Amino acid sequence: MNYIWEGLREAGRLIFTLDPDVLDSAWRSVWISSAAVGLAMLLGIPLGLALARKAFLGRRAVIVFSRAAMAVPTVFVGVVCYAIFNRSGPLGPLEILMTPWAIVVGELLLALPIIISLTHNAVASLDVRVGETAWTLGAGRLRRCATYISEARSGVALATLTAFARCVTELGVAMIVGGNLPGRTQTLATAAAQENSKGEFARGLAMGILLLCISLGVTCLIARLGRERPTSG
Amino acid sequence: MIDVEDLCVTKEGNPICAVSQFRLASGQVAIAIGKNGSGKSTFLRVLAGLETSFSGRCKVHFDCRERVFVHQTPYLFRGTVWSNVMYGLRASGAERREETVHMWMARLGIDHLSGRNVDQLSGGERKRTALARAFAVRAKLILLDEPFSEMDDAGAATIAEVLCHNDDTSIIFTSPSDSYHKLPIAREMRISAPSMGAAEA
Repeated sequence: MNYIWEGLREAGRLIFTLDPDVLDSAWRSVWISSAAVGLAMLLGIPLGLALARKAFLGRRAVIVFSRAAMAVPTVFVGVVCYAIFNRSGPLGPLEILMTPWAIVVGELLLALPIIISLTHNAVASLDVRVGETAWTLGAGRLRRCATYISEARSGVALATLTAFARCVTELGVAMIVGGNLPGRTQTLATAAAQENSKGEFARGLAMGILLLCISLGVTCLIARLGRERPTSG
Repeated sequence: MIDVEDLCVTKEGNPICAVSQFRLASGQVAIAIGKNGSGKSTFLRVLAGLETSFSGRCKVHFDCRERVFVHQTPYLFRGTVWSNVMYGLRASGAERREETVHMWMARLGIDHLSGRNVDQLSGGERKRTALARAFAVRAKLILLDEPFSEMDDAGAATIAEVLCHNDDTSIIFTSPSDSYHKLPIAREMRISAPSMGAAEA
């Protein structure tokens, strides 16, 4: 039990003394996951919306596939990305393997099914009067889409949060396509795993606690953004 | 101008709305009276363009964007009373929006609720907000599904006043009873369960 308390104390010290290695990994984790989730939102929200509101060939199959892909192992995605980005792979000439951008792409593949599925779910469960009311008030297609997203904003916020949590805590992609290179591709999750395997339990725990703090911060931020902003004349 | 003849809406093999004949000129107010389940709401939905699967003739000489339908239990978008009344005006890119919003909120007696979140409104206040939103867009045809339900006497009088003093907009509203005979209504249509047919009075 003692080593746990020692670990917690060391974790507190590393965080409050702003240990440069820990902060470096934390910042990299945040920007990589934010970029991946941001791209996933750009692609996934319109697709989730289309799946909920439009009937097209293969719609059912896309819904089932995106739901199944939510649980895909991160190691599998990492291996697939490695196959694509390694020198002899189809996107090898891009030379992004062992760079943060390879991790961004891998995490994008993790985040996308979550954003698509949860956005689809949130919009599909909206009251049928939302679309009818918007249409009858003269809203064009874009405004109606914006209205659906606005009305389903809690669900979309939850999708974003879930995707971010999955990305920031994943290990498989960052380890395989990033290589856990200190100062270049090391994220909090890979650093925590490495420190733990070296027997540096306290540093590993510090990074784990920092991951938890980041998740908590993002949760609060998204909850705040999802809150109503009264506007009146 | 609205011209309906032998209209019948069928869902899963069951007729849910039948209207033998109905005509309404621009600027007139009509009431469709019928019991629950007689197809009044479906009739309005057909006129609004929300129900497109029907047999018979239904000619509405207004573009879909010039018709507004208000549900019996209206849906208010998340936000405030103000943002809801503003919604249709923003959608249509209308000018002098703020002035129009103020005017319709005042006419419907909800100007004091301007900044209130719609979650904090009573049933009657929600209905008045939806009506202000519908009237604010200056549609040529306004279809109101039981606008007087859930309204107290003062609220009903306010809505009646708005219906009476609306110059060039055609209005059709439904009601389960004929207690609105004081309104200057051009057409009064009795609508009954489809199996029994429907007739214009």
